[in-house]
Amino acid sequence: MSINPFTGTGTASLNASDETPVSESPEQTNWQPLDVIRGFALLGLLVVAICDFGGFTTNQQIFYQRGHHGGNYALLTAVSVLFEGKMLALFALAFGAGIILFLTKEQPANLGAPDAYTRRQLWLLLFGLVIAFLLLWPSDILYPLAVIGILLFGFWRFSARGLLIIAFVFLLIFFGKQFWNYQDDKKDYKKYLAVTAIEKRIKADSTTRAKKDSTLRTKDTLLFKDELAKNKLADSIARKKDTLTKKQKEEKGKWEGILKATKYDSAKTASTNKAMRAGSYAKVWDHVMKQSQDKESAWLYRIGLWEIGSMMLLGMALLKFGFFGQRFGTGKYLLVALLLVAIGAGLAWYRLHYNNIRLADYEGYVKKYDIPFNFFIPAENMLMATGYASLILGMHRLNILNGLWRAIGLVGTMALTNYFLQCLVCSLFFYGYGFGYFGKLEQWELYFMVLELALIQVVISVLWLRYFNLGPLEWLWSSLIYRKWMPIKKPAPVLADPVIIAVS
Amino acid sequence: MDQHNLPGNAASIAIPLRDGDQAAVTKPVSAADRIKSIDTIRGVALLGILLMNMPGFGMGWGFWYEITHGPRTGADYYTFASIFIFFEGTMRGLFSMLFGAGMVLFMLNKKEVPGGTTVAEYYYRRLMWLVFFGVINAYVLLWQGDILFFYGLAGMILFPFRNLHPKWLLGLALLAMSINMVKDHWDYTEFRQKRLDYNEAMAAKKEKKKLTAEQQAAIGAWTEVEKNQKPDTTEVNRHVTKMRSDYSTIFTYFIPQNSSGEAWYMYHGVWDFLVMMFMGMALFKWGFFSNKLPTSTYAIWLLVGYGIGLPWAYVLFEKGMMAFSSDIGGQLDQFRVSHRTVREFRRVLVTVGHASLVMLIFRSGIVPWLMKALANVGQMAFTNYLMQSIICTWFFYGYGFGYYNSLRFHQLYYVVLAVWIFQIIFSAIWLQYFRFGPFEWLWRSLTYWKLQPMKKG
Repeated sequence: MSINPFTGTGTASLNASDETPVSESPEQTNWQPLDVIRGFALLGLLVVAICDFGGFTTNQQIFYQRGHHGGNYALLTAVSVLFEGKMLALFALAFGAGIILFLTKEQPANLGAPDAYTRRQLWLLLFGLVIAFLLLWPSDILYPLAVIGILLFGFWRFSARGLLIIAFVFLLIFFGKQFWNYQDDKKDYKKYLAVTAIEKRIKADSTTRAKKDSTLRTKDTLLFKDELAKNKLADSIARKKDTLTKKQKEEKGKWEGILKATKYDSAKTASTNKAMRAGSYAKVWDHVMKQSQDKESAWLYRIGLWEIGSMMLLGMALLKFGFFGQRFGTGKYLLVALLLVAIGAGLAWYRLHYNNIRLADYEGYVKKYDIPFNFFIPAENMLMATGYASLILGMHRLNILNGLWRAIGLVGTMALTNYFLQCLVCSLFFYGYGFGYFGKLEQWELYFMVLELALIQVVISVLWLRYFNLGPLEWLWSSLIYRKWMPIKKPAPVLADPVIIAVS
Repeated sequence: MDQHNLPGNAASIAIPLRDGDQAAVTKPVSAADRIKSIDTIRGVALLGILLMNMPGFGMGWGFWYEITHGPRTGADYYTFASIFIFFEGTMRGLFSMLFGAGMVLFMLNKKEVPGGTTVAEYYYRRLMWLVFFGVINAYVLLWQGDILFFYGLAGMILFPFRNLHPKWLLGLALLAMSINMVKDHWDYTEFRQKRLDYNEAMAAKKEKKKLTAEQQAAIGAWTEVEKNQKPDTTEVNRHVTKMRSDYSTIFTYFIPQNSSGEAWYMYHGVWDFLVMMFMGMALFKWGFFSNKLPTSTYAIWLLVGYGIGLPWAYVLFEKGMMAFSSDIGGQLDQFRVSHRTVREFRRVLVTVGHASLVMLIFRSGIVPWLMKALANVGQMAFTNYLMQSIICTWFFYGYGFGYYNSLRFHQLYYVVLAVWIFQIIFSAIWLQYFRFGPFEWLWRSLTYWKLQPMKKG
């Protein structure tokens, strides 16, 4: 057997062929809850990602949010409540748990766990770069998972309680970021108001001068001609000075830009579509590259670290609490699931309600409310993701729908391969150098694509893992970490006659 | 790895462990075991870094325009030219090299305790605290040129490479350098395209052809670039006023700048650090910093480093800096590849030259008192680095003495000299009584989450 770097299962020693399960179920289910959580999150990621892949951009979404609330709006709402942000959170939760599993795994004698782990993270980082800059997917999640995983390494040995405390500190900072970002908007609005007040005064001054001009004009005799010329000159100089300074213009423009972003802009859609449908790979690359860089630098620094980090830490803590094993009873898991998902969905509902108010009139919103519409996103994501995880754990204890869970679990076992596959297919299907369907499909049409891809991923995972013990990319990853080709084929079932083997 | 055949190997550095208890892991290196030569070079780097940082502490950016466009004479110009040619990037480089060396040293000095927290974890916790101190340095002490943040994060990348043979480490340094150069060239080409588009549009204009919208935009874009070469005096004045204000004004003024600066520079500028850190690891393993190489080797590297590096630095100063500032368009027309693109070689060469020079002086024993003084400074490098931020921000910013933008360029270096003297004396006195500098003590205590012995005894 060989180690699956993602799940942290398998062993490094060649003679041990037993796979130590994370939990030992009293019932004979043949699936691991953590794999299912990872697989579920992975399939769910595409539900959200398909919008950006397929050109159903935020701008397009605003069109439906501001317009008539029909079927499209309902679909948008459902996806936003159930999936948006939650799938990334869930994936990070499973990834965090996987960190502990990987680090507690017995490593080959010549390589300590810290080395194996840091190599695992650095190779993952490289895979992330491939997805972001070769498959041109700016919202790649491997890069942030890799980076944050390295940052958290020093703390993995902390107690469950310690990790939980750090997770909540991260969550608080995430809350803070939401709050302060909104305060910046408020500040920009105040500056805008100040500038417009000045502008009004300038206009008023010009009017006064114009009036003065006209009073002078009545005296427009030969005697006053020189006087008049002087006045005119002075006036034109004054008018020239009476404009907003560069800084004031910037301040005015900034708020106008914020306001504009809450409105549907058809020109923006057109230009994005044009760029993404460009026939040449280089042109699409040019368009996407800056987005990827921003995501991997500014976004990671400001938001990603806290958003993803808090969930990873929670995953680490929950694993240590035994949450992913058999710690609680069936009823408890289901009750927790119900409670968390209900509260999370409530918060999502609140968010969408206030988002509509914001989109209808952001100026009014800024004047009226002290907290942003998306203030509770950190809690919303964490609660719902944990709720989903709890639901799956409950199902595991209930021992129902085993076939379905097993299939999703296999998708999760090959998470890296499947993630890569998602991005590859979408990139080729939507972008201009492929089939160029970017921005051509309705949202509901996009979901056929999601369904189809989910099916393909399930089928491939089930078939592949029948013959191999690692997905192809997991195998590559593992081989890179341990610097030797890992065995990938499943050992043949032991029923053959030893004599026959000897002969053949 | 054939580490044990290398000079400066583990055996000569590691402290003997009496038993496998946790205390032994966290035990500080005793004074006798510290490698004096490394402390000395670190001291040089630490003091030298202030040469480059001082303009950042004390002057607005309007100055750079003035000096690159001003008369090529006078104390300001000569100070500027010599600082640029002899030191630009090299002190940071030296510091990075020693950071890489220190990384190997840290891992060698500590021994694993079976079942306990691994040395690797202490290493990463130590770096997390460094990142944290970097954030404090930038956001609270208000030094925007902080490097601790980046060192902490870059150090986390080094770990899996620590056991590599030095020649592979050198290879990694070259790889990092190439990436840096490619990125640089990329930016330059993108920038140059603006100029080329402009040239094309202007040629069309000359032939009285009707300009397309794109051509008009190209002319506009380039005119904007040329206009932006000259700093906007209103902006500069606004900046200077801010810097002379109270603490909370500067604090809020810096938040967005620090935030975008740290994110951007970590992502795009990490190669600058990695080049030197990998080189430092390699050189340390070869015994360069621990005074293990023959005098002739240091002499050769001194000659090679300065002999090639300094003339190169002069060319870079003339072409890459002065000519590019005064005639940006002409330079872009003329050169497909920027002079800046190859600046990394110069940086490495001059840095190695500096290091060799210090090593030669160190082993010659001509100025033992100076070497001792520098070693003291180097032993408390972390404290001294933060102290530079504290002293200089207080001296220049509004909530302190408010000398911001009121000294001339060469006058800044009187302040540098004063800080140097203060730090040398302070370090010498402090180390009479204590084992570490105060911030070193804090850092260690946080890393091991246990108060460390501080007093000498």
